[in-house]
Parts: sequence; C-alpha cells; structure tokens
Amino acid sequence: MNDLLQKFNALPWDAIGQWLVLLPAGVMLLAAAGAVALRNLIHAALCLTLSFIALGIVFIALGAEFVGFVQLLVYVGAVAMLIVFAILLTRPSDLAGAMSPFAGFGPVGGILTGAALLIALLAFIFSSPAAKTPMPSMPVAPVAQIGNLLMLDFVVPLQAVGVLLTAALIGAAVLAMEDKKP
Amino acid sequence: MKFFDLLETAPSDLLKWFVNLLAGYGVPAWLLAVISAVIIIGTVIGVFLGLFALCSVMERKILARVQNRYGPNRVGPFGLFQPVADGIKMITKEDLVPRSADKIVHFLAPVVMMIPALMVLAILPYGRGMVPAELDAGILYFFAVGAGTEVAVFMAGWGSNNKYSVMGAMRAIAQMVSYELPLIISAVVVAMIAGSLSPAAIVEAQGTFAFGFIPGWYVLTPWGFVACILFYIAALAESNRSPFDLPEGESELVAGHLTEYSGFKYATFFMAEYVGMFAICGLLVTLFLGGWQAPLPFLTIVPSWCWFFGKVAFVAFTMIWVRATLPRLRIDHLMTFAWKFMLPMSFAAFLAAAAWHYAGRGPLAWALSAVIVGVPYFILGNHFTAKFAVSNRRYQFSE
Repeated sequence: MNDLLQKFNALPWDAIGQWLVLLPAGVMLLAAAGAVALRNLIHAALCLTLSFIALGIVFIALGAEFVGFVQLLVYVGAVAMLIVFAILLTRPSDLAGAMSPFAGFGPVGGILTGAALLIALLAFIFSSPAAKTPMPSMPVAPVAQIGNLLMLDFVVPLQAVGVLLTAALIGAAVLAMEDKKP
Repeated sequence: MKFFDLLETAPSDLLKWFVNLLAGYGVPAWLLAVISAVIIIGTVIGVFLGLFALCSVMERKILARVQNRYGPNRVGPFGLFQPVADGIKMITKEDLVPRSADKIVHFLAPVVMMIPALMVLAILPYGRGMVPAELDAGILYFFAVGAGTEVAVFMAGWGSNNKYSVMGAMRAIAQMVSYELPLIISAVVVAMIAGSLSPAAIVEAQGTFAFGFIPGWYVLTPWGFVACILFYIAALAESNRSPFDLPEGESELVAGHLTEYSGFKYATFFMAEYVGMFAICGLLVTLFLGGWQAPLPFLTIVPSWCWFFGKVAFVAFTMIWVRATLPRLRIDHLMTFAWKFMLPMSFAAFLAAAAWHYAGRGPLAWALSAVIVGVPYFILGNHFTAKFAVSNRRYQFSE
C-alpha cells in the first residue's frame, strides 16, 4: 500500500496541479460574472456563493489548505447566508429606488468605477512590501505554525479585530432593539 | 486472537489483495492509485448508505417500542426489508415541481444537500490507520464543508416558491447558524487539549488508560463532559432532529423547506439528513468518546473499526431515543437556549479546559475545571428555571 502511495505521490502533481487550478478559477470568474450580471437578486447571491466556494477550492489546490477551509467556513457559512437573509428580509419595493445609484451613467459608469478600483488595488498591491519578498518554494504552512503566528506575533492586531467585531455586534444589537416606551 | 487480528486488518488487506491482483495484469501505477481511491470512496459511501437504510427501519422500530406498538413488521423478517419497499416507492413516485418554482434552484437543492453530507465522511478515522483523507486541519474541514448544508436548505426553501418553504428554510438557517457556534467551540476545546486539528491525532491522544482501566476519553473529564453534552445538543440542532425539528414542524409549517419535494428528491433530502447525522455522530465519537479506541484494555483485541461503528450506533440510538421522548421546542425558546445557555456554557468549558491544562492535568486540575464549569451551570440553570418554579397547581375555575 505504501509503495503504491509513494508512486502516486511521485506523479508530477505540481505540473498537473498548475493546470487543474484553472478549473475552479474559471468557475469562480464565471460565477462572479453571473453575480454581477443576473437580474434576479437571489440568483446573483447564489452565484456569489458559488464563486466563494470556487475561490476556496483554488486556495486548497494551491496548497493553502487552512485559508481555503476558513474561506469556506466564513464566506459560505456566514457571509453568503447574511446576504441571503438581507435579501429575504427587505421587500423588493425597498430596493427599487436603491438598486442602482449609478443607473444614469449606463455601462460607462460601471466600467469606469471598476477600472478605477482595479488600478487602485493593483497600485496598493505592488507598492506593498509583501510584493517584494520572494515567493516561498513550499507554500504549505502547518496549522500549528499559523496558530503560533496569530497568537504570539500578531496577537495585538488579532485582539484589535476582535474588539472591532464585538463593537459592531453590540451596535447591530442596539439598532435592532425595539424602543421601549418610557 | 488470530481471528480478531485478521478482522482488524481485513479492510486494508482486501484492498491490497485486489490492487496486487490488478497489478499482476500489468495495470499502470497511476491507474491503480485512482482505482484504489475510487474503491475507498465507494466503500465509505456504500457503508453509510447501508447504515442509512438500516437506521430508517430501526428508528421506526425503536420509536414504536417506546410508544408501545410494533412498528414495521410486514416486509421481510422483522420488517427488515422495509427500506427496500420505501426505496421502490420513493423512486416510482411522481416528481412534482410547482409551476411557479425556480426550476433550476429547486432541482439543484437536493444535490447540494447531498454533497457536503458525503464529503465530511472523508476525514473520520474509522479504525486504526483507516482515515480516507488524512488532513492536518480535518476538524476545520468538517465544519467548512458542512457549511454548504445551509446553502442547500435555503435553495430548497426559496426555489419552491412557497411561503411555508421559505419560512421553514429561514427557521432552519437561523437555527443552524445559532447552534454552529456552541458546536464549533466545543470542538475547539478538544483541539486545544489534544494540540491538533487532525482527527487521527485526537483519537491517538485518547488512547491511554488511567489506573489501567479508566479510558482517557475526553468525555471523562469535567470540561470534556460539558463540551460533549453541548456538542450533542448542537449536533441534534444541526441535523434538524427532534426536539429541534421545528423547521419541519408539520403542525405549523406543513414540512418546512421539504413541502414541495416529492419522490426521489425528497428521498435525497432524507438520505442526506441521515448521512449528516451519522457523520456528526462520528465526529462526536472521534472528539469525545475515544474514536476507535476500546473502552477497556483487554477489549483492544476487538477490531478498532467495530468499536467506532458500535459507538456511532450507540450515539445514533440515543438520538432516536431523544426523539421519542422529548416534545418539540418553541422557536423563541430554541434561540434563547442557544444564545443564553449553550454559548456561555461552551465558553465555560473552554476556560475549564485551559485551566485543566495549565493546572497540570492532575487532581487539582480536575477540581479547578469542575468548579469552572459547575458554577456557571448552576447560575444559568437557576436563572432560567426560576420563573418556572414548581408549586402546587391552583385551580381557578373548577373548584
């Protein structure tokens, strides 16, 4: 059994993987396009969910297992459900006016906004110090290592994010609370 | 002894024999690897679908026994062929799709429901060295893939274009999201103590015997006991089983998100729910009940996979028992219970486990962690039961 496993592992997985990644990546792009283009809001939300799932698979295929699983857990389990709930709890009439603030600009406005966002993102990504560090040959990081980094080196940012999320949660609860008449 | 040893390695021996047989015919190595992977996947799915068929009849028999009647006993010996009859009925039934339903979403929902239910089976350690996919972050994988179930429930509810379906789906999702927190936190507690997210490593860590006969299962520690019960309750809620089956509360919502499903699609939902229930029972066994470890040292001769499936069957039996015994909860009680009792208690178990670890895992640690889980339990318990104080009933009108 073990020699078989070795033979299986000896296959050129890196070469195969490079091409296999294209499959979920393509699904992701198609689904993202669907999320933008579809008229039916629920269909758009489901397309967005599919694109989240495909992105998680891309992470896993690239060897970042932990990030991929967290992507699935957080985005599919929580964010997608939140979007769906928001759509279900708002009536279509509420949305009619708010649907497209850029409706008057037509497709040009959309393309311009998208291009501006893309340029800004690219500028930030390439000017950040992370872009200059060489790519590690083995991107596989064991979970324990990630945990140690989060809990020792980056514990202050982690706690700060925790405080921020708690504040947001309390704020949401206060907003949703019914006013009690005095 | 010899016989048990043979049984212990029988599954992998059979696979080896078959692969060697094929290798003898000159099948290339990569194809052999693919074939053996397909065989392993097929076996796991086959075993769990078989368990589903068995469970569907055993559940009805057990429910019947609890309610003092016979249950299905017409098809085959003791009614054991009932699932076959049910299956034939389900497949030949007309597949109704409402005219105003969203055809694609309505069709895809049962498929999306089935995929995560089967995928989570990959990381469970069924026996010594019998893990289909050994992942470093196996527990995380289980919950990450399991998140797909919620999408499926929503698709079923919304795609049916029926008010009962949508309401049932919203209830189901709200319930699943709420109970996922205590479920994950009580699993994290175990990962914290075992020092690993890999199910195989967690089972290994429970393989000790204190005083030579007390198994080192996590359920036998104060924090583990609390986390196990929280996990069990949350597992009942996650698999939408009684007393948390109010998304399908037939007296108010017809059948919730399943209202517009019939025939084979309904059967797929049913199947996915049961396979999901077995999977979560398997995870509970892995995390708290020692996985494939034997309960007593001299019983280790019994094959490890027998212990695993025996324990899963026991946990599944208790779930059926609970279904026969407890009435359904009301929706606001359900939410209150999740957020005001389960969540604080899971944090208490979390703290207790940390205390247990830093107090040296000895008698002192026992006392400390017992206090840390005991005090919140009594405070919360008193808080919630105070307004339901039992007293003699006063008859207002009939005196």
